[in-house]
Amino acid sequence: MSDENAQTATGMPENSERAPSQEHDPQTTKLPMSGIRVIDVGTFLAGPYAASVLGEFGAEILKVEHPLAGDPMRRFGTATKRHDATLAWLSEARNKKSVLIDLRQQEGVQLFLRLVEKSDVLIENFRPGTMEEWGIGWKELSEVNPGLVFLRVSGYGQTGPYRHRSGFAHIAHAFGGLSYLAGFPGETPVVPGTAPLGDYLSSLYGAIGIMLALRHREKTGRGQIVDIGIYEAVFRHLDEIAASYGLFGKIREREGAGSFVAVPHGHFRTRDDKWIAIACTTDKMFERLSEAMERPELASSRLYGEQRKRLAARDEVNRIVIEWVGSLSRDEVLNRCLEKEVPIGKVNSIADIFEDEHFQARGNLARLEEPGLGEVVVPGVTPRLSLTPGQINNLGPPMGNATYEVMRELLGLSAEEIKQLRQRKII
Amino acid sequence: MTTATSQAELPLAGIRVIDVATVIAAPYCATILGEFGADVLKVEHPMGGDVCRKFGTPTHRGDTLAWLGEARNKKSVTIDLHRPDGVELFKQLIEKADVLCENFRTGTLEKWGLGWEVLQRINPGLIMLRVTGYGQTGPYRDRPGFARIAHAVGGIAYLSGMPKGTPVTPGSTTLGDYLTGLYGCVGVLMALRYREQTGLGQYVDAALYESVFRCTDELASAFAMFGTVRERHGPTHNDFACPYGHFPTKDGKWVALACATDKLFARLAEAMGRPELASSGLYGEQKTRLENRSDVNEIVRDWCGSLTREEVLKRCYATGAPAGPLNNIADIYGDRQFHARRNLVAIDDEDLGETIVVPSVIPRLSETPGQIRHLGPKLGQHTEEVLSELLGMSQEEIGELKKKRVI
Repeated sequence: MSDENAQTATGMPENSERAPSQEHDPQTTKLPMSGIRVIDVGTFLAGPYAASVLGEFGAEILKVEHPLAGDPMRRFGTATKRHDATLAWLSEARNKKSVLIDLRQQEGVQLFLRLVEKSDVLIENFRPGTMEEWGIGWKELSEVNPGLVFLRVSGYGQTGPYRHRSGFAHIAHAFGGLSYLAGFPGETPVVPGTAPLGDYLSSLYGAIGIMLALRHREKTGRGQIVDIGIYEAVFRHLDEIAASYGLFGKIREREGAGSFVAVPHGHFRTRDDKWIAIACTTDKMFERLSEAMERPELASSRLYGEQRKRLAARDEVNRIVIEWVGSLSRDEVLNRCLEKEVPIGKVNSIADIFEDEHFQARGNLARLEEPGLGEVVVPGVTPRLSLTPGQINNLGPPMGNATYEVMRELLGLSAEEIKQLRQRKII
Repeated sequence: MTTATSQAELPLAGIRVIDVATVIAAPYCATILGEFGADVLKVEHPMGGDVCRKFGTPTHRGDTLAWLGEARNKKSVTIDLHRPDGVELFKQLIEKADVLCENFRTGTLEKWGLGWEVLQRINPGLIMLRVTGYGQTGPYRDRPGFARIAHAVGGIAYLSGMPKGTPVTPGSTTLGDYLTGLYGCVGVLMALRYREQTGLGQYVDAALYESVFRCTDELASAFAMFGTVRERHGPTHNDFACPYGHFPTKDGKWVALACATDKLFARLAEAMGRPELASSGLYGEQKTRLENRSDVNEIVRDWCGSLTREEVLKRCYATGAPAGPLNNIADIYGDRQFHARRNLVAIDDEDLGETIVVPSVIPRLSETPGQIRHLGPKLGQHTEEVLSELLGMSQEEIGELKKKRVI
């Protein structure tokens, strides 16, 4: 790994602190993706997050950005004292190295192809056709590197009538059928949780696709394209919605805080104006809740012991739970339910999360020192591997912090050539 | 490009996965592995099997649509792990497996004598995916966990809904299950790669709430640095982009708009026939739009409300403004893009005598596309086949185990 060089090249000190889950020295521990070089020429998160995941597990990530503008993600989110980095950038461009190349110039394209030749994976999320326009479509790329694994993420995928439309997670949530389901019946559909959800989802599929394709390459020597529409990653997660429409013509509607499969299953307000989530997925869970409520008779077969009966009497069952939860503080409800092993949890705000002992114990909040900014807290690495845990070695890099290193060491350009290219704003 | 057409040519051909988990989270990892060529043995309790068989809408076969769709490509093998004979049988399967997916409450497999140390001794290269609500460690590790609870604990339920209103389900109650299946699958593929380099297996410790929390962009960073507590935003609020949200159209439908950059807002202004809105004197800059959020939203709402959904979308697509319909499942069935990408596949189920429509495989690989070979199997459909072919048991031995209700 050449992280050290990157930091030396830009005069950045080594991060003194690392994420709490990291007991292994990144210089000596081999990780699953060690030796894999990934070029991430995408913007924002859909695709680039796949590179972040691969980087956490040892891949070298070269973030190729426009020399003037850089990734717009650098300006998306909460601004920091570092003019080229929002908090979102710092967190999600973790472990990457920034290399500036202007792909709109012919010489930039030539440099890019030389990089591709020395890489294993390429990730992009331009509008379909853009890279072809620049002369770096699959044909040119696979010519210089037949083993290349090429992840392409776009709003609607590389094929189909809508492929040229601009797509963002927000649009994909709507198009993929998730937004329609978020909110109260007959009322305004709301944003399903967080704005970039679909970006994370499509990137996870991207990471999976890349690893599958790498396996195939190791067997056959051949690379391939992984083609993901963000809307598809969203739609894939709607359990049986397609099957039940196909078979019974059932259109699932917004369900507010509830669920069509089980009762009580939702969010309930406590006396101190906080919220808890309860999920009685099975009859056994409801029996436990009845005990916690000190009304075991509710779980009798005569009353609401069976899911079928609870679904039929949804409003009545919910009313009983609403009243009980509303008569107690959040802590009281939690304690009584946990004692009976009812599936329950706080509806956590981020302030709740920072206070939570379980988040602390699992190291979900990684704390890193960032020069000029002090401590930055970011989500730790997921998934958690027992033998080769992932690592956060640096946060989102400064613009172009590895351009020189990569041009010099990887492509073998002279200092003079690099200077020339810089002057002409190609890099 | 020639594409792989048989299971044997797929990236995970020759990999054997035992899925002893229930519902969706850990099983979805096995589902993906199966789509890309792994042989997935679904080990279930002889009485009733995986509770996913009862989750959702029942078919006349008994198993629900959710089961048929998500247990695709798996083989059902019944073994009662509460009995010593069952445990022994399971160990024999582990010896011949590469990956194990489980989601019992913490300590359950250990209680049966099937903890990580035991399994690793039997098969040092084994990769084990363990999914629970809270993970294998930490103070809450023994609490029951479902995706609903994970959405709440992981911070996204708090963000879903109208400002100060009741927090709502973030679209689907199973979201956290799928997310965890994805992270689990990433972990398993990493671990397989590492095993091929070193021969060493390992376990992946996945928690539902962690998968949810990992997808909250800078929520944690902004709280730590500035004390910002993000709240529910309803349909038309985003801290960083405006206009952004859901807007009603004249015909009682909804469209989604997302102007993440100034360029995209300029395209929207053009679509609205009011390019002057994107001038620097007015709302050309994100900063100005965020400061005048309610004015901007009102202009957009008025415009959307004056047209049908189709008209709004047509005008937005013409200028490249980022817009889309809020599709329900009926809209999706009628959509050309879903058709062109074959996102819905109809599979005949022999036992059901009907065609079931399920979401097709993603990710989409050009040379080795994933496959749906069959839908969720019947309980115990493959028990005999696996015990005789894989473990070399005689008909007599199998008959004995059946009589004793071990399988």
